[in-house]
Amino acid sequence: MWKPVRLFTFKRKFDFLGPRRTALILSTLVNIIALAGVFTIGLNFGIDFKGGIAIQAKAKQGVANLEQLRSTIGALGVGEVSLQEFGDPSTALIRVQRQDGGAQCVAGAQRVMLKRAGPGWQVKPGPAGTGDVELTAPSALDAGNWRDAVSRVGLTVQERQLPRGTVNTARIDMSPEQRAEWCQQVAIKLVEDAIGGGYELRGTESVGPKIGEELMQSGILAVIATMAAIAIYVWFRFEWQFAVGALIAMLHDVISTLGVFVVLQLDFSLTALAAVLTIAGYSINDTVVIFDRVRENMRRYKKLSLVDLLNQSINETLSRTLMTSGTVFVAVVALVLFGGPVLYSFSVAMLWGVIVGTYSSIWVACAGLVYLNLRPEQLRPDDDKAEKAKA
Amino acid sequence: MLNVQRWQTLVIVGFTALAVLFALPNVLPNALLSHLPSWYQQSRVNLGLDLRGGAHFLLEADLRAVLNERLTNLSDSVRAELRKQQVGFKDVTVEAGRAVVVVLREEAQRAKALEAIRSIDSSLAVSGTGDTIRLAYSEQDLFRRKKEVIDQSIEILRRRVDETGTIEPTIVRQGDDRILLQVPGIKDTTDLKRKINQTAKLTFHLVNEDVALTGQNVPTNLPPTTTLVPTREGMQQLRATNLKAWEDIQAANPRLAPEQICRRYQPQCLPVLKRVIVGGEDLDDAKATFEQQQGGRPIISFTFNSAGGRAFCAATRANVGKRLAIQLDNEIISAPVVQSAICGGSGIITGSFTTQQTQEQALLLRSGALPATLTIIEERTVGADLGADAIRDGTVAAIVGTLLVALFMFVAYGPLFGGFANLAMLVNLLLVFAGMSVLGASLTLPGIAGLVLTVGMAVDSNVLIYERVREEKALGRSAFSSLATGYERAMSAIIDANLTTLIAGVLLFGFGSGPIRGFATTLSLGLVTSMFSSTIFTRMLLALWVRWRRPTELVI
Repeated sequence: MWKPVRLFTFKRKFDFLGPRRTALILSTLVNIIALAGVFTIGLNFGIDFKGGIAIQAKAKQGVANLEQLRSTIGALGVGEVSLQEFGDPSTALIRVQRQDGGAQCVAGAQRVMLKRAGPGWQVKPGPAGTGDVELTAPSALDAGNWRDAVSRVGLTVQERQLPRGTVNTARIDMSPEQRAEWCQQVAIKLVEDAIGGGYELRGTESVGPKIGEELMQSGILAVIATMAAIAIYVWFRFEWQFAVGALIAMLHDVISTLGVFVVLQLDFSLTALAAVLTIAGYSINDTVVIFDRVRENMRRYKKLSLVDLLNQSINETLSRTLMTSGTVFVAVVALVLFGGPVLYSFSVAMLWGVIVGTYSSIWVACAGLVYLNLRPEQLRPDDDKAEKAKA
Repeated sequence: MLNVQRWQTLVIVGFTALAVLFALPNVLPNALLSHLPSWYQQSRVNLGLDLRGGAHFLLEADLRAVLNERLTNLSDSVRAELRKQQVGFKDVTVEAGRAVVVVLREEAQRAKALEAIRSIDSSLAVSGTGDTIRLAYSEQDLFRRKKEVIDQSIEILRRRVDETGTIEPTIVRQGDDRILLQVPGIKDTTDLKRKINQTAKLTFHLVNEDVALTGQNVPTNLPPTTTLVPTREGMQQLRATNLKAWEDIQAANPRLAPEQICRRYQPQCLPVLKRVIVGGEDLDDAKATFEQQQGGRPIISFTFNSAGGRAFCAATRANVGKRLAIQLDNEIISAPVVQSAICGGSGIITGSFTTQQTQEQALLLRSGALPATLTIIEERTVGADLGADAIRDGTVAAIVGTLLVALFMFVAYGPLFGGFANLAMLVNLLLVFAGMSVLGASLTLPGIAGLVLTVGMAVDSNVLIYERVREEKALGRSAFSSLATGYERAMSAIIDANLTTLIAGVLLFGFGSGPIRGFATTLSLGLVTSMFSSTIFTRMLLALWVRWRRPTELVI
């Protein structure tokens, strides 16, 4: 049998908070740069928040020819297109910008119609200001065929809009917003038709303008609500200074994580948001462990200066802090290495979160307590009595 | 503190055994599982669409257009009724999305006009003064109608997705005007999307009673005015008895004409006259209701607009005693006998129906008349092999992650304490699976990531305990006392650490959707169960070990 391995075999007396000013400057600088990056370069928002289309295409033979795909899809008139290899060289992730429902989209719909419903069809935009579309059939059709043909471009024709008798033109009512949503579908069909021959489309995601905005709003709300809820919990369990310290540490971790997303230009998707929230929740773990000890020591050593007290608490809990981070760290490393392309952004963000969360518990949360003027004598007298009674 | 009573041990072991029991169906072979009770069979973790492959659509119904169409119809009826009652009016206009505004020629006729309007629909909210009358639908009415439109759209979708032959689609209402459609395992979404956009076609025909149809005998010579259409029951029967034939019919491209279906597959059919009496576009409403007399049998009542009412009146007057076929797309959904001329724009269908049948029939009748346009506002399609890739990646990451964490704990705390912690970690994984199986939660790829994180975080509690035990031991406490105090003093940090992460998990569940919810589920569930496995469960193990070995020195 083997012996357990210890991180430290000696009594630790590191002066963690000695260089707190340097740490403060460093942290502030990193956060300012991260924020500046978010606002100037910007996060590489995925389609979840920006809206748009993402298609995973796997070459039926050989490797995916990104250049060729770029020029083929670029010529479709679907706006900005970005391509990247995804997972392996035979697979490409094609991203198409959110569709705005302009005239180009109607022209695209015309091509889809010709390809999918047969020759002779015409698709034209309706009057300006509306999102209406005018469809002309090659000849007068019966109602069933109209419905069938129209559904091939992703449109629904209402009974009352169906042309009667020898008329072969129908007007489909849509608001400009509805047309923008429909154009997403048109763009998907265009891409399918253009590359479907050489590529197998393994997965398609399309987020319309409306949902994108909603997800963005609820995402921001989720981050704020999570941090507020955790801070309130810490406030409830400790003194207010602890809550403020924890909140600052959380902000530090979240903002610097956003910075990592900017620097590495990782895809910021819903999963990435999940990583940010988890980091907010997890970064506080180490902090709480140290805070717990600070509170305990505050009652025990009433004469100790605040900095010494904090230093001692950090030293005492150091191996716990490092060990708990260590277990999560190795788990996340497994995710980074083997989790596959879909989880990659998430895993990298989590990896950063585990490291920065440990740093911030010591140099942001605890250092913050020094500046927030937390002193043992500020404890309520009740605590003293309680402590004496216990002793 | 370290004294664990016998009953406590029993409860803990029992609870763990229960977890094993509920997690077991996930790994049992199907052959064995089919012999077990069905509630037990269902205790399995569902795979999310991103792992299983399938399509997810979020559809938005254009309720505003439905309301406008209704208002337009109302304005038509008001115009007709006012003319009939000889009330002069300057104008009847539709305020889009709001109301119908009537401007009378003479204020004196207001009372008469109101009476006429009330005869059309007595539930309308009437406002305005002098020569102006504003008609709006009441809040309750709008709410009811919205719900009806969505329910009806869901029903249409269900019918259409069902036609594609795929299994168990999930179709649920979301929010006010949205429908979530999830179809697992579907390969080609082009056809599905086409079906979403296609509306049903409803027509009324007369049955040609001169053509005799007996049993499966299909007449070879039909008059040119007549065609054969299968009945809905007939098609359902065919599906039940000859699934292959039914599937062939659905897959045929181009679509088979009803008569071809009748001749080729011989389901129950009816000979109907090709001429359309009234189309679904003229049907205003259909609802399931009860007969006033005769014990209140469930019936279906329907209302036509003025054009439809006239045509229907003429046709029924001339054909009393004959059957009227109501055809939806390629099936006859009902063929009631005309009892008397139905004039005045509304009628009823009686028969030996159950309430459920009348509701279904009314829904079917409406499905040709008032479809709201459904727009796809979100689409996520995952091919089956992409899902398989995700499963493989996720499984490898989970196994490697678990092994790394286990190794870490073994190295840090030795074979005994590390072993206890690792055993607790496995119990925790088991508990998460059991919990998800019982809750019927879906496992998604981010969910697997949550599981891996949980593995790393669950042992944290053990780290906190062990490190505390080391500290207590360093203070010179005995083996027993350091273990007991270690557990006691680590508790508050454990609870705080887990609860803060849990807050993030729960909020993420509330805000997130789809795969992200899967992540929130495994993370939150894992944190909750780890409180049991890492503290209560390991404490029991240690207590048993202490009682057995009576150690004087802790190797930790």
